[in-house]
Amino acid sequence: MEPTPSRHSVVDMATNPSIRAPRRRPNGSADPVGRSRRPLTAIQTLLAGTVVAVVVAGILIGVSVAGSGSGSASKPLAGAEFSSLLLSGIPQHGTVLGQSGAPVRLVEYGDLQCPICRAFAVDTLPTIIRDYVRTGSVQIEFRGLAFIGGDSEKALRAVDAAAAQNRAWNLLDLLYVNQGRENSGWVSDSLIRSAAAHVDGLDVPKLFAAGSSAATDARIRTAAALARRDMGGRLQTPTFEVGRAGQPLQPLQITSLDVNQFTPALDRLLGR
Amino acid sequence: MTEGRLRSAIALFAVAGLGIASYLTYARYSGAQLLCATGGCETVQHSRYAVVAGIPVAVLGLVAYLAFLGTTAFRGQTAAAAGVCVAVAAVLFSTYLLLVQLLLVHALCQWCVAGDVVVTILAALTAARFLVSSGVEPPLAIPRAGPARSRNGRAPRGSAGGASA
Repeated sequence: MEPTPSRHSVVDMATNPSIRAPRRRPNGSADPVGRSRRPLTAIQTLLAGTVVAVVVAGILIGVSVAGSGSGSASKPLAGAEFSSLLLSGIPQHGTVLGQSGAPVRLVEYGDLQCPICRAFAVDTLPTIIRDYVRTGSVQIEFRGLAFIGGDSEKALRAVDAAAAQNRAWNLLDLLYVNQGRENSGWVSDSLIRSAAAHVDGLDVPKLFAAGSSAATDARIRTAAALARRDMGGRLQTPTFEVGRAGQPLQPLQITSLDVNQFTPALDRLLGR
Repeated sequence: MTEGRLRSAIALFAVAGLGIASYLTYARYSGAQLLCATGGCETVQHSRYAVVAGIPVAVLGLVAYLAFLGTTAFRGQTAAAAGVCVAVAAVLFSTYLLLVQLLLVHALCQWCVAGDVVVTILAALTAARFLVSSGVEPPLAIPRAGPARSRNGRAPRGSAGGASA
């Protein structure tokens, strides 16, 4: 039987150098289009590497999601979610909340055991934060005092330590919301740990270490000295001062904690 | 564009990314306040999503940009393919972090966004490098003078050296 014209015998291939056997794939089958192996290998390498890259990214994302959900904040704490939303995205520096270029500053002297301070934090502050602080008009500074008792100082030390991590307002808000009976020992390590665990990015071991540091002692003494200067030795909380940024602050006289006791002074200073 | 130029461009953007990641890593460990026009940098950097398995995301960024830079130290398809793989992982993780900022943390960090832009550019450059190193002209390549070549890098039919029927 005659071979077909398009096919060559093995003898032809051996005697005529211009005739080449068709390329073969690794499994022995002929490559019908004569593609070189190199691009195929490169694509295989790329595909394998891409699969590895997707798996690596997936693991990183999975660990991130799992880590964010299974933090030490697994036990619910009153006010945690609201507090997080209230303060989310607002810059903090030390005990100052708000953008650095804000034209007006509001100062609050407070004791973490003071029930009226708690009422201000829970009922009035969210509106001020939403309408004045978040919009960049006002900065609020918390100057903590500890004259009610031992729990005041313990809570204040924790807040001051959180200030070193620029998270004071988060802890402050959570401690106010979960405030207990005066000097009942309600400011336990457990409460501080639980509250701190609900604050994004707050390093809890660092917080406890800083709470008893000399720097914290110094800042608490400074706040107390400023309070004595501003209040003439008669400490009471909450006490408020307000003024244009960089100018002397003036006492803000209020007769209730209604937000309307605060907004006229803020609006006047803002030129509204 | 030649592979050499693409490698140089990748190295340039990898160094830019390294600069951003180094600054964020420094701020993370020193406690320095970040320069931030958007106001959300501190919030993002201190969120619980800024750390993965105890490793700050900024450090992961450093590793990724070093990997990009490492692929430019070698020429050829394997290094180009490695660059694409790093880009795939980086783009996926960057997209996840951007969504976290927008949907969960509700704050945007300008440094992270700048890093996302750099990663996107690096992904395009590494893809182009892989195509060039595989003998395929990337879509936006400018035709160069020289022997006519088909898109797959082989000589067109009928030219010298073409496959005979």
